[in-house]
Amino acid sequence: MTVLPFLVVAAVAGTCSLILRASRGWSTTIAIVGLLAMTWVAISLSPDAAIDIGGTILAGSAWLRLYAILASVVALGLIAVDVSAFHEPDAPGVIVIAIGAAVLALASPHAGVAVLAATAGGLAGVLVAAPLGAAARAAFVGARELRALAITGALAILATAWLARPLAELATQPAVFGLAYLAFGAAVAVRFGAIPFHFWAARVADAAPGVALPLLMAWLPAAFAAVALVWIDQSVAPMALPLSTERVLIAAIGTVSIVLGLVAALVQDDLEHVVGYSIVADAGVAVLGLAVLDPAGWEPARTWLLVFVVGRSAFAAWVLAIHGGFGTRRLPDLAGWARRAPVLAASLVAIAATSIAWPGLAAWQARSTLIDLALPRPIAVLVMIAPIAAIAIYGRILLVGVGQPDTAVRAGRGERPRWPASLPRRPMAGVGGLERGFERASHALSGTLDVAWLLPTAVRTNRMPLAAVAVLLLSGLAFLIAGGGLGVREAARAVPQAAASDTAPSGPGSTAEPGPSAEPSATASPSPQASFAPVP
Amino acid sequence: MNVALAIVAGLAVAGAVLAVSARDVRATVLGVLIVLIAGPLVASPWPSPAAILARVAAGLLAARLLTIGLRGEEATAGTRIGWPAEALAAAAAAVVGFGSHGLGAAALGPAEAQAAGFALIALAISPLVTGRDVLRLGIGSVLLVSGALFIRVGLDNPPRDGEQLVISLLTISLGGAIGVIGAAARAAGGLAASSVAIGLPVPRLPDAHRDIRREVGVEPISPKPPVAPKEPGVATEPPAVAKAPRAVPRAPRRRTPRTPKPPSGDAS
Repeated sequence: MTVLPFLVVAAVAGTCSLILRASRGWSTTIAIVGLLAMTWVAISLSPDAAIDIGGTILAGSAWLRLYAILASVVALGLIAVDVSAFHEPDAPGVIVIAIGAAVLALASPHAGVAVLAATAGGLAGVLVAAPLGAAARAAFVGARELRALAITGALAILATAWLARPLAELATQPAVFGLAYLAFGAAVAVRFGAIPFHFWAARVADAAPGVALPLLMAWLPAAFAAVALVWIDQSVAPMALPLSTERVLIAAIGTVSIVLGLVAALVQDDLEHVVGYSIVADAGVAVLGLAVLDPAGWEPARTWLLVFVVGRSAFAAWVLAIHGGFGTRRLPDLAGWARRAPVLAASLVAIAATSIAWPGLAAWQARSTLIDLALPRPIAVLVMIAPIAAIAIYGRILLVGVGQPDTAVRAGRGERPRWPASLPRRPMAGVGGLERGFERASHALSGTLDVAWLLPTAVRTNRMPLAAVAVLLLSGLAFLIAGGGLGVREAARAVPQAAASDTAPSGPGSTAEPGPSAEPSATASPSPQASFAPVP
Repeated sequence: MNVALAIVAGLAVAGAVLAVSARDVRATVLGVLIVLIAGPLVASPWPSPAAILARVAAGLLAARLLTIGLRGEEATAGTRIGWPAEALAAAAAAVVGFGSHGLGAAALGPAEAQAAGFALIALAISPLVTGRDVLRLGIGSVLLVSGALFIRVGLDNPPRDGEQLVISLLTISLGGAIGVIGAAARAAGGLAASSVAIGLPVPRLPDAHRDIRREVGVEPISPKPPVAPKEPGVATEPPAVAKAPRAVPRAPRRRTPRTPKPPSGDAS
């Protein structure tokens, strides 16, 4: 199956969900049905299938398939937690549309088309950052987000257009490649909110609903970064230019983001800010991946993107469940939360393990390889051990959780399952066997009806335990991916069809046009190989 | 040089100058619409009719979304340096773009597109950097992305139909995003309310422009302050607002005609 059905389902479900935003129940139901359908279509995607739409190829790949599956499943989990906590009106529809746009970007082998789609998907996020009826600050945040998206989109469009030509003449001017590379790298850093471009992202973390935070700060920028990786691999890296200054700049942004992002997450009291800055810190590793102009960086960079987005989504869902259950997300007010929410405490441990990782896990291998390839040895050692400091972040949250419960926690919902009302007892009145048989059947039917009747109330009463289970599943998924499950390494290793067939034209002296004119081979299968061969 | 392309590119730049200079919201939206509609036409060869139709429809829809979000708003801050200065800056950038066509290698698109792209990006810088009201920031964003797309057309092969479709989606997303932000700002008290809320300085009214509202006798242009939620039984003080210009123009001072000096009697 090609990627087209996925895009159609996403467009229809997202649009209908947004049109019906006034009716939250219907809007959310349509989004959930759409996400279920998207999951099914994503599982059926063929990595080799390609389709030509108006001269633009949309090609599948193993990594795209995994991204689509994980995005749909994680979005389902996030919406489930959101429904149990706050139920933001626009979030489900926006999430569906944005996932569709991200998949469209990843399916396009032509980087020029891909950046357009990735930018359009980011703009959908403005709808949740500046919702109608929100405070004036939301409009300010939305305007700044729009500006950041426009700047990053323009930089990426210019960079891809500059090098999307026969490069025989450009090859004599390395500065052109350096500028284009730097522009796209900076665009990715701004999209991730990497330090020092983090101001707009911090405001978004403050204003956007928690359910949309992973989408705005992780999933959509990750798709943008994946497009950048493919473009760098096709257009810049094969030239084997030194580009040392540009690489140092990009690596510096990544390093600063890793270190300062962790420090900022450690000192924050607002849990949503902790999520935001931990995303910034993990995004720093993704930015480092752009500084590696070596085929060895291809697999770890794409592995890390998936590990990081799923892990941070689980953390955001955890914060959402805590906020919904106890009515606050300020850490000082959450003393004793772990006593009343042990499932969420177990989830946090899993999230922490995913985030910190250890040697042997795919997450650790990917991160350490990228740091090793991008940075000189002494600095690399320091940056490699920096994420271990995240123990302090999660330890602090857990430490607060095991204390004596505070007022907000005592008044909160808690995870203990409850049934809203006692079920009526029905004594047997029949004397004969047949009578008792009929009576038993009647009691069974009545009992079933009693339970069914109370089921909606029971779901409402047990929102917190249900949310905790959803978070536990998400954190389990994150741990699975961090361990290299679901074939994440193989998917990351596979070279996209267009990349495999388009590397040659980028070389000096070549006159063939890269990208759009090249037909992807429908029979090419993903294989473990170097993503490009340096041009001699 | 293709004269027809140059004319269309000139129209696009003129629309952009109108968008960044005008203080009337309708004129601003009209300027944006001109830029968006001229976008697909600054190409050689032209896209297919279906692609042009899709781009024009997307431009119209984006303008409509903008209008919906800004319904009721009549004025934005406009430029501080006046439209002639903006036009000159755009012209200078267009000359640079035309002269540097290809940016280091033979280009596959028309030089006029690159010239228009440079002009649009030059015009976008001021609203993006100094814009305080959300409409100016939005206009700057549209012009920046449109400028980048113009340059892309000037450098690379013309976009195919599929890419034109994605550009159309991007155009609609831009219009929708600005409309949503504008509506949120308007609900909070005005286009500049978001800046007021976080303590940024309110955009000062340009001195060099006449106040178009005085002619129709409506309230003067000034950013509306955010409305504080009123609690029962608590008197709320109106927030401090920047001093607004006078609503009613002061009547021109008339000189009283001098009475002729009475002839002195000792003349005789």
